[in-house]
Amino acid sequence: MSHHTRTQTPGRRRGMRMAALVAAAGLALTACSGDSGVPGASNDDGDEAPAAEGEATIRFAWWGSDTRHEVTQEILDNFMEEHPDITVVSDFTDWNGYWDKLATTVAAGDTPDVITQEERYLRDYASRNVLADLNEFSGTIDLSSIDDSIIEAGQTDGGQYGIPTGVNAYAILADEQIFADAGVEMPDDETWTWEDYVEIASEISANTEDGVFGAQDYGFNEPGFAIFARQRGENLYNEDGSLGFSADTLAEWWEISLQLRDQGGTPSASETIEVDAGGPEQSLVGTNSGAMAFFWTNQLEAVSNAAGRDITLLRHPGESQYERTGMYFKPAMFYSMSANSQYPEAAATLIDYLLNSEEAAELMLSDRGLPANTEVRAAVQDQFSEIDQQAADFLADLEDEIVDGLPVPPVGAGEVAEITRRINAEVLFDRLSPQEAAEQFINEVETATGQ
Amino acid sequence: MSALGELAALRKTKGAKDTLSPSERGDNKAAIFFLAPWFIGLGLITAGPLLASLYLSFTDYSLLEAPSWIGIENYVRMLDDPRLHNSLVVTFTYVFVSVPLQLAAALGLAMVLDRGLRGLAIYRSVYYLPSLLGGSVAIAILWRQIFGTNGLVNQVLGIFGIQGQGWVSHPDYALGTLMILNVWTFGAPMIIFLAGLRQIPEMYYEASSIDGAGRVRKFVSITLPLLTPIIFFNLVLQVIGAFQAFTQAFVVSGGGGGPADSTLFYTLYLYQNGFRSFDMGYASAMAWLLLVIIAALTAANFFFSKYWVFYND
Repeated sequence: MSHHTRTQTPGRRRGMRMAALVAAAGLALTACSGDSGVPGASNDDGDEAPAAEGEATIRFAWWGSDTRHEVTQEILDNFMEEHPDITVVSDFTDWNGYWDKLATTVAAGDTPDVITQEERYLRDYASRNVLADLNEFSGTIDLSSIDDSIIEAGQTDGGQYGIPTGVNAYAILADEQIFADAGVEMPDDETWTWEDYVEIASEISANTEDGVFGAQDYGFNEPGFAIFARQRGENLYNEDGSLGFSADTLAEWWEISLQLRDQGGTPSASETIEVDAGGPEQSLVGTNSGAMAFFWTNQLEAVSNAAGRDITLLRHPGESQYERTGMYFKPAMFYSMSANSQYPEAAATLIDYLLNSEEAAELMLSDRGLPANTEVRAAVQDQFSEIDQQAADFLADLEDEIVDGLPVPPVGAGEVAEITRRINAEVLFDRLSPQEAAEQFINEVETATGQ
Repeated sequence: MSALGELAALRKTKGAKDTLSPSERGDNKAAIFFLAPWFIGLGLITAGPLLASLYLSFTDYSLLEAPSWIGIENYVRMLDDPRLHNSLVVTFTYVFVSVPLQLAAALGLAMVLDRGLRGLAIYRSVYYLPSLLGGSVAIAILWRQIFGTNGLVNQVLGIFGIQGQGWVSHPDYALGTLMILNVWTFGAPMIIFLAGLRQIPEMYYEASSIDGAGRVRKFVSITLPLLTPIIFFNLVLQVIGAFQAFTQAFVVSGGGGGPADSTLFYTLYLYQNGFRSFDMGYASAMAWLLLVIIAALTAANFFFSKYWVFYND
């Protein structure tokens, strides 16, 4: 230390206490300030620079993988070449950070002009007047080649707050080689039941080496349950945002999950938690250590590449077991516009380009879901990779079976993913019985969605 | 730390103004000049947001819309929030278990290093490294690997024929792995202990040797009492630091505080409310509760310090 401490012994005592006190106060104070939002702050992305006459600078926010970032940048470069008066600033991040960042930039009054949205958050943002009603830009955004049922998915609170980029379905990804190794026949996915699913998964685990399982646990996210409930004539959410299922149905869903765990069809609870945290590439199917897992169809490519094998898409079990089919087309994501965009026309022009330009679709292919624009889809379909083509064919086959889409989830639905994941862990570790878990889930979701 | 010591010393000399020489007066001006950025920062970056969050804690604020005043409703809600209560249990467990262990490790190593080893500077740096890295995302990811089902820990256990399980992914053990991570970052307190040990005059030990005191006796009767101000200083800092732990739990649990909320630190739950659940008003209220808790614990620390901290003056 300095000469003060050595020469002035009394000073040392004060110095030490003082230092502790000041440091304590400083640390405690910053603890709070670090976590609080500061309205009015503005981050400088260059979009606030005064624009010359007719020139516009807009910001486009999206989430995704590195591949998507590169492809999107290429699309934006083409767009800017075609529209020299519009400059598009890219604002991208991965899925996990995206929503935290978006909420913060909106709070800071720095909303991106064009925002990629997801169904669980669409109402949160639309109902809080963050998003523009795209009906007002119908002159710029051409929706004539997009199916009405798909467009409807972006309608909520009396406006068109998002336009689907493309469609997806939640399905089972199956590794045929593991089925063959285990000597188990591939199921007929149009007729198989949930009992078949448990049996097949358990048999595969039993017939393969240690560390290879029949299936990955499915209880970590709620779209799977939405399908399960729909098969029974119920629904995750009703049109008015209330819950449309009974606690018994949800408990049954988790009971099947426990059966799978207990019969060895799925890994132990802690392995399941780890696998789940790893995403598609680290999934059981992605690492050749599981025969079946539930994923979205646009994740087929990522999982197939990670697995290095041909992966087959299967329908959910139980599609013909109960009252009706449960699978549905989900808008993969939405393009939305900020209600406070300085250059709404430029933003609308970009949305139109992303939806309807063949040039853009040729680059994007099915990365944002199978293109919503049917003409564009037909035009670029021959450029699809084998994997994309498989997903496209699978979705085409489903077309006749799917009864209807899902209503736009209520405000607060973004929290439900986390609630599902947490309660699922409680179930897998036997901390809650399926029945208790179902009741807790209903309570928490009703609180989150303000029902 | 020494800057704070200087500040205290500066205040002291200020009281004795008449005796200052012109050159010392110049020093004071220079000191104030150099401190100015820090004070400006305190005002703009700390005090401003602090007051803003106090206001927000009385509002319903979704981040997306302007805040609306709801009085003390956020604070009332805390009484009836099981996840908040759970996060307090998790955080207190973490603080009260990991901080004493961390300080013990720091003191133990400081005493070993104080023996005057050859290449001391290298050892000091090596042991200090975890302190710099411990809060980082990379280490948290590494931790997830080490304590995973097929991680290093289980591979070592496997050699002894023990089949371990996923430690970070089991609700009974996940918090323990984070505590180990915190204990591992003992470098900063260790350096301070080392400095403290250096200040204990050698003559006390020599005198006690003549009186026939053994190692343990020397440690208990000389080292510990003379080190209590340093222990106290470290304790205060590490307790506050541990209450604010965030990165490790955020990364290891993927932001969720899982599995099954077992690593849901208070700060993590606060973050979830503020940035995920569109409930910044509640998050602000939580931040103020955290401030009160930390302030109360620190005050208690200072209060009890007079019973065990020995100032040699």
